Amino acid sequence: MSAVPATVPVKRGETEGSYLEDGHTLASWLLTTDHKRIALLYLGSITFFFFIGGIAAALVRLNLIVPQGLLGSAETYNRLFTMHGVVMVWFFLVPAVPVTLGNFVIPLMLGARDLAFPRLNLFSWYLFIAGGAVTLWALLVGGVDTGWTFYTPLSTGYSKSHVVLAAVGIFIAGFSSIATGLNFIVSIHRLRAPGLTWYRMPVFLWSMYSLSVLLVLATPVLAITLLLVTLERLFHIGVFDPAVGGDPLLFQHLFWFYSHPAVYIMILPGFGVVSEIIPTFARKPIFGYKFVVWASVSIAVISFFVWGHHMFVAGTSLYSAILFSILSYLVAVPSAIKVFNWIGTLHKGHIEFDAPMLYALGFVGLFTIGGVTGLWVAALAADVHLTQTYFVVAHFHYIMVGGMVSAFFGGLHYWWPKITGRLYPEMWARVAALIMFIGFNLTFFPQFVLGYLGMPRRYASYPPDFQVLNVLSSAGATILAVAYLLPLAYLTWSLIYGKRAAANPWRATGLEWRTPSPPPTVNFLETPVVTTGPYAFGAGDRMHHHA
Amino acid sequence: MSARRLVMAWLGLMALGAAELAASFLPLPHAWRPLIIAPGVLMILIVAVTFMEVTEGPTIVRAFALAALFWLFILLALGAADPLTRTDYPTPQARVAPPAGA
Amino acid sequence: MPLARAIECTIMPSGAVRHDFQYATPAYQSQTAVAGMWLFLATEVLFFGGLILSWIYSRHWNPAGFDRGSQRASLAAGTVNTAILVTSSFAYALGLLRIREGDARGLVRCCAATLALGLAFLAVKFGIEWPDDFRRHLFPSDPDFGVQGPQQGGARLFYVFYFWGTGLHGLHMIIGVALLLWIMHRTRRGDFSKRYHTPVLVVGLYWSFVDIVWLTLYPLIYLIGRSA
Repeated sequence: MSAVPATVPVKRGETEGSYLEDGHTLASWLLTTDHKRIALLYLGSITFFFFIGGIAAALVRLNLIVPQGLLGSAETYNRLFTMHGVVMVWFFLVPAVPVTLGNFVIPLMLGARDLAFPRLNLFSWYLFIAGGAVTLWALLVGGVDTGWTFYTPLSTGYSKSHVVLAAVGIFIAGFSSIATGLNFIVSIHRLRAPGLTWYRMPVFLWSMYSLSVLLVLATPVLAITLLLVTLERLFHIGVFDPAVGGDPLLFQHLFWFYSHPAVYIMILPGFGVVSEIIPTFARKPIFGYKFVVWASVSIAVISFFVWGHHMFVAGTSLYSAILFSILSYLVAVPSAIKVFNWIGTLHKGHIEFDAPMLYALGFVGLFTIGGVTGLWVAALAADVHLTQTYFVVAHFHYIMVGGMVSAFFGGLHYWWPKITGRLYPEMWARVAALIMFIGFNLTFFPQFVLGYLGMPRRYASYPPDFQVLNVLSSAGATILAVAYLLPLAYLTWSLIYGKRAAANPWRATGLEWRTPSPPPTVNFLETPVVTTGPYAFGAGDRMHHHA
Repeated sequence: MSARRLVMAWLGLMALGAAELAASFLPLPHAWRPLIIAPGVLMILIVAVTFMEVTEGPTIVRAFALAALFWLFILLALGAADPLTRTDYPTPQARVAPPAGA
Repeated sequence: MPLARAIECTIMPSGAVRHDFQYATPAYQSQTAVAGMWLFLATEVLFFGGLILSWIYSRHWNPAGFDRGSQRASLAAGTVNTAILVTSSFAYALGLLRIREGDARGLVRCCAATLALGLAFLAVKFGIEWPDDFRRHLFPSDPDFGVQGPQQGGARLFYVFYFWGTGLHGLHMIIGVALLLWIMHRTRRGDFSKRYHTPVLVVGLYWSFVDIVWLTLYPLIYLIGRSA
């Protein structure tokens, strides 16, 4: 197919420098359409939001070190955990890997010059910033107290907090998501290099494709739902209001129709990243490639069928609950297939424990724990006891933080040489990865026990018997904070003092490693032609790289 | 696509619209009334095929259109499954006796 | 590359056809733009889909009141508007045929017809129908609501769907009108030819889709609840 040009005319006088040197003005960054620069704009933005959400989490854990609640006010506590959830979900976890690593790596992995719609890509960043600004404004003027889930009728009527402002901010950011997903899907369909058939694409691309399907089809439902909540709040009448015959559960159905796929939006990129890291650092092709890629696609599809498991005790019909429970067990199967395949990849591999691999291995273990505990809450009878307790909180944090955040850091380290042209200090990175693993488990394992013992979530105070476990959890959070600050420090350090990276420091496969680190603006001076499948490692490969 | 096909499509749309309007005057029972939308579905199909040329162009265009319809179906079907199978316990204001065994 | 350079790549000087640097041919880019628009329309299906689910719930929990509300809606206005909108899609499709023959003036005339019909729709909807609805106290939060008694709740919910649904649809129409004006402007400027008229295609898809949304709303609002 002659879909993509073989060469690109480079203007006389244009340097052979990288994309980082192609313009030094503020305008060259803020008006760029280069996917690589947009990825960095996003990286700065999500890092900022990660710290906002992290500060909220720190205050939550601080409050919980004494049974009566250190901050003294349940109202303040409600606003804090809401802020934590809203910021972390919509302004960190949903965007993180797709808009930073995805934006940067996808065109390179495709052998393309850019995404299908570069100006739409820039526009998506502006939408993200606008949505983030409005949401931050909502938080600064007092925040929201409904939880990130905005359940009605609290959100539509009884809450005195800034629901409309927050809803508008998230609404705007949602369009950023949709634009990104649309760009990825069309790019993967239309811009693959010659010879890059679907089954020759790295797993990362299949994961990004799957998550993009979720982004474009689920997010619009969130948009209409937030709009309905806003209108009901503004006009004091709406479809969720039982006083006129409306149904508050309709909100939950609409909300979770988006929010369950949203959790897969958050984790699928992690699957993709880990599926790149493990083969590279085990020097082996991924085990069961077709099973892994079709597992990603199945997860994307089935994730739309399970949302009712968030509503088992909400008052829905028992028959619908049974249906959703069965479907929820179904969706666990492809995830399990992936876990087995990652382990199969490691088996008889030549394993190197560089930082990306440490994060990836942590992901596999912690995600498995999170995933298995999900099966417990997917069982109707067990969920009656466990729902709305810390068990659920621990379950999703194992997946989101133990899994996804680990994968994000793993991917950031893995592609850092490609993005910046520098190597990070390996010893510090390994130390940070280990500290993260320890801090994470200390924070969240006690929460499984607390939940099982009956401590409810979203409560500012608790019975004194639970104090020891809560203190352990808060102590773990402090360690986790250190683990997050370390990379901020040494990655920044590496930008100036890090050793310069070669095109392929990990001796990995994949088209992104065939271009210099960092890449030129046009990515490839000559479009690569693909002749082999992915993960085509040579026999007896060894990795020799930096200190 | 030709002007003739477009004119035929327009005539078809007008006819179906009239049929849909006429159907709405039929004395159908409450639960069956949503079927009135049937001529409307055909109208949507004609617009998609003739005006939007969904059958021309790259294959992914049809994939996107079918995906949209499939996921709309899932939203509406699984979403409606709850109220359609829920046991309703009316409040006292409704002045209806609760179902036996509730 | 900077935004200015990227825009340069696609904005047309008259005659030549340029294309973005990541595509090999203009035709391939054109088809890709069409695919992108279809995907965007898929997101819109899900957006309105949530509203349709609310219609299902509201009607299910309030069968008598909801249909009672529907009976107060102006069937004449709704039906006339359906005919207007369908004809406007037809007019635009004719315009697309014209530019495929290289007839830019034909395209402008057809766009003008589409625009006129679109504005007529908006005039009927927001100039006649909505004011009449307000006058009859049918806005759902109206304290002196036009339907009294036990069916009031359901009727109010009907009018929530009616106003939010036609309001969102109208917003999409207004955006469509702006897009039409943009197409007419670019056509008059000489941007489009037999070989290149991708924006015409893409805007046409959007306009017809907004038509489809109306074809969905029309029976849900005016027809299903009609018969007593």
